[in-house]
This record gives sequence, C-alpha cells and structure tokens, in this order.
Amino acid sequence: MATITHIIQDPLGMHARPAGMLVKEASKYPQCTIHVSVEGGTPVDAKRIMGVMKLAAKQGMTLTVTVTGENEDTVALQLQDFLKENL
Amino acid sequence: MGIFDKLFSSKSKEIPLVAPLSGEVVSIREVSDPTFGQEILGKGVAIRPTSNRVLAPCDGVIEMMFDTGHAVSLTSDTGAEILIHIGLETVTLKGKHFTIHAKNGERVRTGQLLIEFEREALIAEGFDIITPMVICNSDAFHTITPYINKTVSAGELVLGLEK
Repeated sequence: MATITHIIQDPLGMHARPAGMLVKEASKYPQCTIHVSVEGGTPVDAKRIMGVMKLAAKQGMTLTVTVTGENEDTVALQLQDFLKENL
Repeated sequence: MGIFDKLFSSKSKEIPLVAPLSGEVVSIREVSDPTFGQEILGKGVAIRPTSNRVLAPCDGVIEMMFDTGHAVSLTSDTGAEILIHIGLETVTLKGKHFTIHAKNGERVRTGQLLIEFEREALIAEGFDIITPMVICNSDAFHTITPYINKTVSAGELVLGLEK
C-alpha cells in the first residue's frame, strides 16, 4: 500500500467540481483500490463521487490517499501531483 | 405475484425522478460548466429555474447538504445517488442567498423543501442559475432518460431510471 497526503489549498474546499475531478483521476487506475480520508476520518472509495463529496473537506485540512494494487507507488505520486495542481 | 412477474415488472419499470424546481428542462450538455456538461459527475438533466424552492425529487435520505446551501445530494430509496447543484460557481457565495431546510442523514419525502434561494439576487449578481440534477452512480443504471425541452412545474417527471 502506498500513502500520500495533501493539505487542501483551495479556499472553497472539496466542492462538486474538485470531487468530480478527483474521482475522474482515480478512475484512470482500474487496477488499483484507492481510498481517501480527511483528518483521520473514515476512508471512502476515491472512485465514488458521493463518498468523496461527503468528506466535506475544507481548506487547510489534510487529505490522506492510500493506493493498493499494481504500480501503487507511481499511482500515488501521480495522484499527489493531481491534488497539488487542483486542490 | 410470482417471482417471474416481479422480475418482468421490475425490468420494465422506470424509476421516476421529479423536477426539484419549476422551469425549463434542458439537456445536461447545455450546462457550460464541463463538470456537468461533460457528465463528469454523472448523467442527468438541467433546469433553468423560474421558482426559488428546491424540493426533493424522490423519497430518500440526505447524504450531503453543503453548508453553503448551493448544492445537496441524496440517496433515493431506489438506490440512485443524486446531486442537485443550484446555479454555476455558486459555491463562491459561501451561503449568501441560500437557506437550508434539511440536514445530513434526514429522511425526506418527494416534494419536501430542501433549500430556498434568492433567485433574483443570483441573477442580479451575474450568476448562471441553471440547475443540474445528476446521478452520481450512473453506472448502476441500465438507462437514464432525461425528459427535456419542456417547461415543468416542480414535481413533474424529468428523469427516468432503469436498472
């Protein structure tokens, strides 16, 4: 399992658009199981919109993403880059 | 009713979702925000509202009432994960012009008031008030039929889902 973290910079937090973009990004890796949690809360499936929105993650909060599966380290780093650019 | 009757009746049975608002029903592709227009959040429909009260499109449970009141998601009793997003870029208002009438985890009935918003104020501030209603778990349905290009009152059929 590979784990990365990201502190949310977007002043609007995890609203509909970034949630949708994250799910779209995570769905590019069908070979991996990807979970995301906020501030140590219950992890949700990063490929399901409803769960990701329900995190209600705000600016300044820490997202933790875990990746399990083929090329998990590379996928985790790519997701970290994605988060840096988009959230 | 035998098991085969149930099988066949459920197969041909369309799950209705009704309009959360009165207005003109248009294709989701007419929404200029690609998050909706390109169906990144799922398939659905959009309404150009003429009313200012957002009502539940079905019986279900509120999953996520955004504390800004600009959007709400609910899971229908039939298993659809629905997002209603009032206007575009309205998250930036941080709650201004929106009043929340339901809370996370609350069981709601079709037609129940979820959110009120000041439609004229949004328009005056230059917001596009087109309101998408999308099915976040579109993959769970065999067909999703939008009933578009018509004017509806809140409570009239706008989406049909088939498993």
